[in-house]
Amino acid sequence: MTRRFSPGMIVTHLVLLAWSLVVLIPVWTMLINSIKPKREIFRNPFGLPSEVTLDGYSNAWTAGRFDLYFRNSIIVSVVSLLLILLLGSLAAYALANWRSRLSNILYIYFIAGLMIPIRLGTINLFQIIQSLGLTDNLLGLIPIYVAMGMPIATFVLTSFIRSVPAELSDAARIDGASEWRVYLSVILPLIRPALATVTIFNLLPIWNDLWFPLIFIRNQEARTVTLGVSLLFGQYQTDWTRALAALSMAAVPVLVAYLLMSSQFIKGLTAGAIKG
Amino acid sequence: MKLRLTLLLVIAMLLGLIPSVSAQGGEIALTMGSWRVDDVAQMQVILDAFHAAYPNITITFDPTNPPDYNATLRTQLEGGTAPDLFYLRSYATSRQLFEEGYLEPLGDLPGLMENFTEAARAPWATDDGLPYGVPFIAVSHGVYYNIDLFNELGLEVPQTWEELLAVAQKIKDAGYDPFANASGDEWTIAEIVFMNIAPTFIGGYEGRQAYLNGERCFNDEHAVAVFQAVADLAPFLPEGQEALTYYDSQQLFLMGEAAMWLGGSWDIPFFESEAPDFEWSVFGIPAPEGQEQRYVTFHMDAGMGLNAAAPDDHKEAAKLFLEWMTTPEFATLMGDTLPGFFPISNHPIELSNPHANAFLALNEGAGLDVRWAWEKLLDGQPDGYTLMQNGALAVIAGTMTPQEAADALQEGLAQWFEPAQKCPAGM
Amino acid sequence: MANSVLAPARASEQVEITRWDVQRRRTWVLFLIPALLIYTIFMAFPLFNSMRLSFYQGQGLTPDRYVGLENYVTLFTNPLWRDRFFNAVGNTFVFFAIHMLVQNTLGLLFATLLSNTRLFGRNVYRAIIFTPATMSVLVTGFLWTLILNPRWGMLNQVLEWIGLGALARPWLGDANLALPTISLVSSWQWVGLPTMMFLAGLLTISDELSEAARVDGASAWQIFWRIKLPLLRPTIGIVSVLTFIGNFNAFDVIFAMAGARGEPAYATDLLATFFYRTAIAGEHPVAQPNMGLGAAVATCTFLILLTGVSLWLRFGRGGEETLAG
Repeated sequence: MTRRFSPGMIVTHLVLLAWSLVVLIPVWTMLINSIKPKREIFRNPFGLPSEVTLDGYSNAWTAGRFDLYFRNSIIVSVVSLLLILLLGSLAAYALANWRSRLSNILYIYFIAGLMIPIRLGTINLFQIIQSLGLTDNLLGLIPIYVAMGMPIATFVLTSFIRSVPAELSDAARIDGASEWRVYLSVILPLIRPALATVTIFNLLPIWNDLWFPLIFIRNQEARTVTLGVSLLFGQYQTDWTRALAALSMAAVPVLVAYLLMSSQFIKGLTAGAIKG
Repeated sequence: MKLRLTLLLVIAMLLGLIPSVSAQGGEIALTMGSWRVDDVAQMQVILDAFHAAYPNITITFDPTNPPDYNATLRTQLEGGTAPDLFYLRSYATSRQLFEEGYLEPLGDLPGLMENFTEAARAPWATDDGLPYGVPFIAVSHGVYYNIDLFNELGLEVPQTWEELLAVAQKIKDAGYDPFANASGDEWTIAEIVFMNIAPTFIGGYEGRQAYLNGERCFNDEHAVAVFQAVADLAPFLPEGQEALTYYDSQQLFLMGEAAMWLGGSWDIPFFESEAPDFEWSVFGIPAPEGQEQRYVTFHMDAGMGLNAAAPDDHKEAAKLFLEWMTTPEFATLMGDTLPGFFPISNHPIELSNPHANAFLALNEGAGLDVRWAWEKLLDGQPDGYTLMQNGALAVIAGTMTPQEAADALQEGLAQWFEPAQKCPAGM
Repeated sequence: MANSVLAPARASEQVEITRWDVQRRRTWVLFLIPALLIYTIFMAFPLFNSMRLSFYQGQGLTPDRYVGLENYVTLFTNPLWRDRFFNAVGNTFVFFAIHMLVQNTLGLLFATLLSNTRLFGRNVYRAIIFTPATMSVLVTGFLWTLILNPRWGMLNQVLEWIGLGALARPWLGDANLALPTISLVSSWQWVGLPTMMFLAGLLTISDELSEAARVDGASAWQIFWRIKLPLLRPTIGIVSVLTFIGNFNAFDVIFAMAGARGEPAYATDLLATFFYRTAIAGEHPVAQPNMGLGAAVATCTFLILLTGVSLWLRFGRGGEETLAG
């Protein structure tokens, strides 16, 4: 039954094509203008560049200190994600196995965080981070991101671990494996897809976060990419070529990673969505 | 309780890890806080010069982003991690810091009293004249204009407000934007339009003082005249100005699409680096016909304060720096290193940057004053700055008449500013 | 989801407690402790404590003077704060309404179109629709600011080009247009999320149902309204509540496109930007934050969120339970 050219199908394609243009043209604008000379952006914002310049990139990379910001963003994201996966899966393992009133309450305690944005606690967090001497320090961001990731991690992972047949773990236990062993060699390998889902759900908000760096990071040495971009659009002077180059640089790594893995990415998302 | 304990433990651990920074062999390392993130290289030149004169003192310049500066500094002062020296905003903001004991009084700093006038010290001093900051940087305001475009259209620098409007009309008729100013970034309307022209219409320092001591009402004819002047400019702003930003304005002017720009001297370095071949100069806000006296908004922007909680050896070293700041060497060095930022001391200085000199030349024969809202009018809510900004924006948008905008200013300030409360209510 | 949320434990509670069990339990507790600690210290505790601070006043970082309900009284009665607060609440609801109307309706539309497994290029469309959601809000916000620029922006140029020049506006400078414009940009960015969730929901609806209806002579339109939409009710509920939470938390897009002051003239001021200025940054040029008052703003936001989520828990999931039962 090939209905590729039925009227309904044509309308479907028209709608989706139109939207694809609405999505792609702005992205194109960003990329194309980031390689134009500064003034040409204003004279000819959407055409091809009359001459290609990579000044914006080299400028943002060195003068804008984007090398540093990238390093910082990578450190924060990777460390936070690893901790979220480790702590989240440990807790989820316990919550999935331990059936009692207390564990029930703890489970609800964790997932209640799904409903409450952590930003509402900013004032006290500010005081805590300050009293720990961690303002201006990447280390100050990590515990916040880890705490922020706990609800979704425990939620997704607990339901996933619960769906693992109990016989598998029990067999290992009968062979004398400790709980730690069961977690490491039975459960962890089995829940890899769920770990991917948790990674996806947490990576974007952490990498793209502006709020906490904006409030906790003042020092150039500790700025993240998003904060760096926001500073390039500072109150007084900005430079669109450099700014667009910075925007492109901030967006492209995630974009490329996403396009390369989009099918897994979407699978992970929908898996989370079905369960969520 | 347990949480507190855990926190304390973590703090203790961290403190143990942080190596104690102590002076070695008479070497003293000071830090300086600032909101001038763009001036890192230039300040290094100044601080190096100081280091050359005082080899055992090193000062590290550590600026934060302008919108975050006040909050950051306060946090640091309360947390005991503030720099030894730091930039002070003028008037209310730093006055509060002094009243809370965070700033060292500088009444006995050598050179401070001699080299600065009382008016120059006032933004960083108590009402009794006790200084808590060294006057550091002033910025000037005026009208940037495109020399080539003026020549092309056969225009002269306007001498009166009426001539300015006539020039603007000619530019508009020729198909250019007369002014690049726009309200997309609302602060620009407040700081480089409204407060740029205000002294001309309220009579500079004396006029402003008359408002502050209750002799004038904020909706008197002079205040209305300022809003009226803003309204005069409105038809000459670029199309779509509601959404054009500060940066758009700069580009409009630099690209020659707009002939004039009400702006501040701090943009000199930006304009010079952005368009080195572009020919521009600056003229002062012209007085309306029949008024002899010209005025320039010469705003006291930054002072330098000393952290009252700094250790004694740091304080001593920092005072040497502050004393150095009162010398003519410093004034010249600063004026030359940071074109567009002017020293405040009474030393006659010569600057090497022609654009900076063009701004400085506006001061000759003109009455100088700070931006209207800064002194006293920021001390309560609703503050004068926001009221003036909102009034000017409304006048430009045509949603208020100049009289209504002035009435709103008077009414808003009368809510908390005592001198304004003497005025007849209900206009 | 509902069942798993509320009843994680499988029913068999009657397990003999042996020494082995006690040991396992001990390990589980150990497994739980790190997550529990970090979550409590950096999320639950600060949330709770921030609300406590709404009863305090004081300079700067540590409001320490107990003032009872004074902050709330200020927020609700002092015209200076009251007007901006209710303005921000109203704007946030408008922001949310536009997302529900545009973002989620488009998401449902795209998901329905994409759920056709015979659609050529399905995965490509899906990837493109989700692309903006991978980018930083700050990046897309700045990007759209350029596109919407009245002088150089593409949108007005395109309008002129197709003969609709009269429709060109200073989109972000007009107090009536700025908030809808920004809401649309935000919908543009996030439409991929509801699309994915609806798609996942649609794919779980068995083809046999719609096939059977088609055999009975139902049109595609009828199948959508009579069969798919009712079955999607739980997903619609979840999407709505997630949109609600996200929108009441939105800050970055306003910060990027209108500044933290919600320009022009507070027309785009949302609860999060209002909270940011009140508690963290202060108002230009004095920039004196008021943490106690800020905490009151946060608490009010929390209460609005709580009300919304409770309403959803009470009514929105009705369909799902019927389904499950």
